[in-house]
Amino acid sequence: MKDLFLVFKNLTRKPLRLFLTMFATFVAFLIYGTLTTFEDAIDAGVELSADDRLVVVNKINFTQPLPISYVNRVEALSNITGVTHLNWFGGYYQDPQQQVITFAADPESFLTVYNELLLSDEERTAWLQNRQGLIVGEALADQYGWKVGDRIPLNSNIFSQADGSSAWEFDVVGVFTGTDEQANTAATYFHYDYFNETQTFGRDYIGFMGVRTSDPQLNEQVIKSIDDMFANTPFETETVPEKTFNKAFIEQIGNLSLILGAVVFAAFFIILVIVGNSMVLAVRERTGEIGVLKTLGFRSERIFVMVLAESLLLAIASGALGLFVTSLVVNILNSIPQLPVMVLSTDIILQAFGIMVLLGLITGIIPAVNALRLNIITALSRQ
Amino acid sequence: MFGLFSQIGTVIVMNIRSLPQRLWMSLAAVLAVSVVVAVLLSFLSMSNGFASTLDGTGSDSVAIVTRSGSQSELNSVISRDSVNIVSTAPGIATTTDGQPFYSAELYVVVDGIKKSSGTEVNIPMRGISRTGFELRDKVEIVEGRVFEPGTNELIVGQGVLGQFDGFDLGQEVTFGKTRWSVVGVFSTGGSAFESELWADARMVQDLFNRGNSFQTMRIRLAEPGNVDGIREMIENDPRLILDVDTESDYFATQGEALQGIVFFGWGISIVMGLGALAGALNTMYTSVASRSAEIATLRAIGFSNLSAFFGTLSESILLSLVGGVVGALVSYLFMDGLTTATMGPGFTQVVFTFELSPALFQNGIMLALLIGLVGGFFPAWRAARLPVITAFQKAT
Amino acid sequence: MSVLFELKNVVKGFVKGKEKISIFEDLNMTIEEGDFVAIMGPSGSGKTTLLNMLGGVDQPTGGEVWFDGERIDSLSEGNLAKWRANNVGFIFQFYNLMPMLNAARNVELPLLLTKLSGKQRKKNVETALTLVELADRAKHMPSEMSGGQQQRVAIARAIVSDPKLLLCDEPTGDLDRATADEILRMLQLLNQKFNKTIVMVTHDPAAAKYAKRTIHLDKGEFVEEELVA
Repeated sequence: MKDLFLVFKNLTRKPLRLFLTMFATFVAFLIYGTLTTFEDAIDAGVELSADDRLVVVNKINFTQPLPISYVNRVEALSNITGVTHLNWFGGYYQDPQQQVITFAADPESFLTVYNELLLSDEERTAWLQNRQGLIVGEALADQYGWKVGDRIPLNSNIFSQADGSSAWEFDVVGVFTGTDEQANTAATYFHYDYFNETQTFGRDYIGFMGVRTSDPQLNEQVIKSIDDMFANTPFETETVPEKTFNKAFIEQIGNLSLILGAVVFAAFFIILVIVGNSMVLAVRERTGEIGVLKTLGFRSERIFVMVLAESLLLAIASGALGLFVTSLVVNILNSIPQLPVMVLSTDIILQAFGIMVLLGLITGIIPAVNALRLNIITALSRQ
Repeated sequence: MFGLFSQIGTVIVMNIRSLPQRLWMSLAAVLAVSVVVAVLLSFLSMSNGFASTLDGTGSDSVAIVTRSGSQSELNSVISRDSVNIVSTAPGIATTTDGQPFYSAELYVVVDGIKKSSGTEVNIPMRGISRTGFELRDKVEIVEGRVFEPGTNELIVGQGVLGQFDGFDLGQEVTFGKTRWSVVGVFSTGGSAFESELWADARMVQDLFNRGNSFQTMRIRLAEPGNVDGIREMIENDPRLILDVDTESDYFATQGEALQGIVFFGWGISIVMGLGALAGALNTMYTSVASRSAEIATLRAIGFSNLSAFFGTLSESILLSLVGGVVGALVSYLFMDGLTTATMGPGFTQVVFTFELSPALFQNGIMLALLIGLVGGFFPAWRAARLPVITAFQKAT
Repeated sequence: MSVLFELKNVVKGFVKGKEKISIFEDLNMTIEEGDFVAIMGPSGSGKTTLLNMLGGVDQPTGGEVWFDGERIDSLSEGNLAKWRANNVGFIFQFYNLMPMLNAARNVELPLLLTKLSGKQRKKNVETALTLVELADRAKHMPSEMSGGQQQRVAIARAIVSDPKLLLCDEPTGDLDRATADEILRMLQLLNQKFNKTIVMVTHDPAAAKYAKRTIHLDKGEFVEEELVA
């Protein structure tokens, strides 16, 4: 690659144009990197779901309750290693706009079924022993500055206590993290017993159950035995793998990946047009020089490769810059607690480099072919 | 001044006539701008359509009473007693037979299948009475008939039919142990109510174990927009932990739920716009370079540098405007009128239609203009500063 | 005959890289109205720079340039453009016609800087094109014309606003002998019959013969001046 110097000189001969073209490419990869990382983060909820975990909800809709007696009946079934139940609390902190994902849970079974939440042994014991104990995800703890030992109120926009108040007092007894970097730690959990005794309606009902099977292979069988057991009761159930449930939940919002994909496609389309044109122009301007190179004895194929190398260099340099800035943007976005945890993964980076190469080849191919075919005599007379 | 305008005019005409020589470069700029504008307008028309669906849902002459702090109909609970107390408040219209004009309603969620994804989604089911129909201005049965009170019959909104499976007229639907038959299709003039299933309030209470409680209370106001009498009563009675608002105010705040889409749309369009701007600058610098001999010749003849400046600037603005209009048209053709459903603020699906309004169209054109203006300004500056001597050098 | 141009102690230099290059150190010359001057000299002798200074396209570093009793070296850009529009017609080696305008439109360009009506402009364009014997090609595009014809259109453009002065930069440099002679005869006619003052830079001795006098420049100085009989 001793022609690299020539390639570099050609690329940088018009600094302004180089800058503008690189900027356009940079923008496209910034958009690509950020949106793909974002989509990835949303999908993480689905990707991280445990294969051996099922969700049991009311067949009418998951917002409808189930009787608490169901828990014991499911526990009695075979091929099940754990059952727990959760209630959506509709929590918020101080201001109704500051929603806090809060569930009333049965601590012991909860920590068994959802074992990807990490608590220290002391925190675990403290939670089990304190009826008003609340465990808080790391993301939330960071957001509100909560720490172990704090006593905080959380309000519910659904439930109220006998005195009409919608606020519950809790002791923060633990801050949990996830086993995976992208795990959702923007949630809190407290004792179902505390909830059940203090709230005024729907007592002894639960929102849904989490069930752990002994083997994902047996999921279908377990699903059938649960749903059959409650068929023709006032509270029929619908049991689905956690992955299916999470996926459907995201689908309720709409086809996000279609929207994000369309935007990324639009961004790449723009730069394809801009960079492609710029390359054609850049090569056309040096028709004469290419003629001279050919007269000097440079083979056409060599010039072809030089032009392609130029467009590749352009695409990769600006694309890499775009990815670098993406990593900065991701850091900034991760400080916004409402957004899911974004990680610029190796997969995304590799994919981006694939696109850079593709882009470099597509934008370089026309001018490269033009240069390849250029006849010396026309080249020199056109000068 | 006349001289200057005719000079500028001449240069503009010459630039535009020479555009075909720079066809591909110019097309690239046009295309880039049109994609940016199309992306922007698609997002804006999405959130506009959503907001106008929810805005259209609320009436100014209807008040809505919910449990204080509930934030959505789904989370609200009102006991029969509270309903009875509130119905005596001042400012409530009366029905023809002299009764307070109100409707106590239930709002629960059932599963439906979204046609586009085939997955289960939350569909709102409203328990309602005959008064609830009369209270709303625009309700109309477009097919079939109204449900019979006291039976497991339900009617579906037009939006539900288009977006979700399983609720066709004549079909039987099972919720829990009970079977319901779809006996009618209703329209409410495009509002969010069209995303709902309606059935007899008492039947819904039974099915969902609601005893004799309701979730919201709709009240016809004696004087549109005036809820002061009801509010005063609620505030002065410690038994009533309720909120009251006109329905239009209530839904207007909920329509802002997709406001994030507007920010996202603008953000992404501005970033993409910067890319398109780089393209426009490239195009215009190339244009100035390829016309430098002509520009210099005109200057040698005695044309002012202002004419070179405005000639170049107009070319850029023209290209961007064409791009803006094309982008807006594309967005209009493919997005305007597109119907879809998303999770609304009530934790249920809201069916809405993309709506590209003239105001949004203006936004798109403004963005295109801005790209054209900035993308043309610097090259135009260069054109104006081009040394006249260039005319004496060999054209490249 | 009155003096049209007067150059007093003109100094001109420019900086190229780290080097300071001086072209004229103390140039003095006068050109009278109705003169036809050919400027010759090897490349780098400063002949084009001189022409550019006369046309107000380039400014001297020092000294004064007077035209018809007006000092032009200190005029602003805008005023220089106006001055050129009123007094100077340019003829370039490569014609510099606007490729997207037809002959008539090209010739009309300088008239757009005047207050003439459309009708009047059309008439003047016709007159100028007739003078260069191209009235029948008015609607042709530059690409449809030969080099000689294009240069004649350029001459028509230079004279259409009836300036006193014509500045020609190698007007025949791109043409064959016969066509060149044709163009030069036309310039001569404009000088003799219409009393245009012409300054022409050329490297072609045969072309210089059409002028009334020839100035030879070398390294920024007049080395010789000959009068044509």
